[in-house]
Amino acid sequence: MLFDSEKPTIGIEYADGETILREGEIGDHLYVILEGRVEVVVDDGGERPFQLAILEKDGFFGEMSLFSDLPRVASVRALGPVRLMTLDKRGLLRWLADDPSLSLRIMLKMVERVRLLVSEVVHLRKLLRDNRLL
Amino acid sequence: MELTSGARVAVVGGGPSGSLSAYFLLDLARQTGITLQLDLFEPRDFTQTGPPGCNMCGGVISESLMQKMAAEGIVLPKELLLDAIDSYVLHTDSGAATIHPFHAEMRIASIFRGAGPLGAESQHPLPWSSFDQHLLEMARQSGANVLRRRVRHLDRTPEGHPRVFLHPAKGDSSDSTEPFGTYDLLIGCVGLNGSGVRMFEEMRFGYRPPRNDRAWVGELYMGAKEVHRRLGHAMHIFLLDIPGMKFAAMTPKGHYATFIILGHGVNEEVVKRVFQSPRVRSLFPEGWETPVRPCHCQPRINLGPPVNPFADRVVLVGDCATSRLYKDGIGAAYRMAKACAFTAITRGISAQAFREGYWPVCRQMDRDNALGHLLFSMDGIMRYFSPLRRAMITVIREEQSRPQDPRRLSSAMWDTFTGSAPYRQIFQQAFHPVILWRLFVAMLRALVPGQQTDAIVSTTIRE
Ligand SMILES: Cc1cc2nc3c(=O)[nH]c(=O)nc-3n(C[C@H](O)[C@H](O)[C@H](O)COP(=O)(O)OP(=O)(O)OC[C@H]3O[C@@H](n4cnc5c(N)ncnc54)[C@H](O)[C@@H]3O)c2cc1C
Repeated sequence: MLFDSEKPTIGIEYADGETILREGEIGDHLYVILEGRVEVVVDDGGERPFQLAILEKDGFFGEMSLFSDLPRVASVRALGPVRLMTLDKRGLLRWLADDPSLSLRIMLKMVERVRLLVSEVVHLRKLLRDNRLL
Repeated sequence: MELTSGARVAVVGGGPSGSLSAYFLLDLARQTGITLQLDLFEPRDFTQTGPPGCNMCGGVISESLMQKMAAEGIVLPKELLLDAIDSYVLHTDSGAATIHPFHAEMRIASIFRGAGPLGAESQHPLPWSSFDQHLLEMARQSGANVLRRRVRHLDRTPEGHPRVFLHPAKGDSSDSTEPFGTYDLLIGCVGLNGSGVRMFEEMRFGYRPPRNDRAWVGELYMGAKEVHRRLGHAMHIFLLDIPGMKFAAMTPKGHYATFIILGHGVNEEVVKRVFQSPRVRSLFPEGWETPVRPCHCQPRINLGPPVNPFADRVVLVGDCATSRLYKDGIGAAYRMAKACAFTAITRGISAQAFREGYWPVCRQMDRDNALGHLLFSMDGIMRYFSPLRRAMITVIREEQSRPQDPRRLSSAMWDTFTGSAPYRQIFQQAFHPVILWRLFVAMLRALVPGQQTDAIVSTTIRE
């Protein structure tokens, strides 16, 4: 349909495999996934980057260096075509000050991630123990 | 006075403020372990085309609202979006200028509030869906009991609990005087079109609706190809020398272009003069004198502020309380719905709780609107002093030719019409000494006979 083919989409698009964020960079944007999937990877010295997580629609990333001013701890790459919306630091901080329930939502997402990390650490410690490395 | 599990809530009106109030209230209640019974009353069927399914507006979702919704996890499905706006074209009698955002990201969307203009129903299936219906579905999925009924009357029990009385349902001839229900909290989201606000005035807790005026909205059918060719993906703003008009805007929406006219007492005469303006007609398809009988309406626009939009167990949200002057009304409804829900859950539902938690959010917007009124009152100066209009176009052109400099005037214009920033910030940008000086110099030059600015110029603004 003509009308659909000429209709631009909201957000910014990345192609499969494209790097969206690079580990070590200073960041001042939060990214929200409108469509598609991304993988969060870190360079752990191995042959290939280690995949920390896969994030999907409505997930967000980039919040850590947004709040801490430290360099990004991981890279993020598009897994297939992906569409994102970015929020700049100043705007977001202003909205967080105005809207406590938005802070609550971001906090809940971060708590979810801490939970995942804790279960990952427990799992790794068990593996080490089972292999008598601990 | 608090909401506890089992509490009953009535939301009257299922436009953006009603659906979002229900959605955020139920969401926060769930997070805090409270179970609510929420009835939402909305007589309109948003899946219908034309006036019966439409809450009458320009249908532009602002940059800041798109971002806030994304951060909240509310992603609008593609079929809701008619177009994405990539720039604003400012048309004056003395020329035009295009303003692009600095970033490459599309953040402004155009939507239909209902199922689209009258006549569109002949297309089956419709290639778009209703924004208001989507929000209503979000509320329903959060647990709201949505009733397609019109509220007739409201009062309170001697203990102060709000009661809701309904108009009889279609086909029901019984003249019931019984209340439909008694509630712990009543949220009024009735907008300004229709008699909804009167019901709240008649509850006699001191509420008075905000000042308001009639505007004009029309959906002009051009066909997608022509819309794209003539308007591109830009929103076109007209600042013209027409008494009674503040500004007009034309937004691409698939096969249609939505035309809105804002001003004081916009009437037939103003509409006729706007459509006869050569600037406006230059965007119409060849051969159009004026648009032929478009689907149109004359909704009320909030000019604020309201008096006492809350009491014990009662609160008004959205257009029937506060909005943002001439922009981002849906964004304002979103903010107020969240503040209302957060207050009700965390502070309680007494007048005191709403005064401390909810009212400051409305007051902040009302105070900012006062600056907006001041800014728009200057259009009188612009209207009667065309060298200033020409100077404005010239300064925007100068800003374009100096990409390394801050583009304050372009930025102020972008924020004025996109709703991306409060009027306070726009004021600081527009009244920067550098801008005033440039405008002054450009105006002096414009006063020299023979100087014309009738070209379309383009500029990019910084984020
Ligand atoms: C000309 C014009 C152009 C605009 N353009 C834009 C724009 O481009 N972008 C933007 O963000 N904002 C725009 N606005 C503002 C926007 O329309 C409003 O801010 C927004 O609709 C407010 O939402 P609301 O839910 O408070 O009210 P409404 O959208 O008016 O909804 C009120 C609802 O209450 C229901 N209701 C009324 N009485 C009763 C009753 N007795 N019982 C049950 N239900 C009842 C109605 O049926 C309706 O659905 C524009 C406004 C105007 C006038």
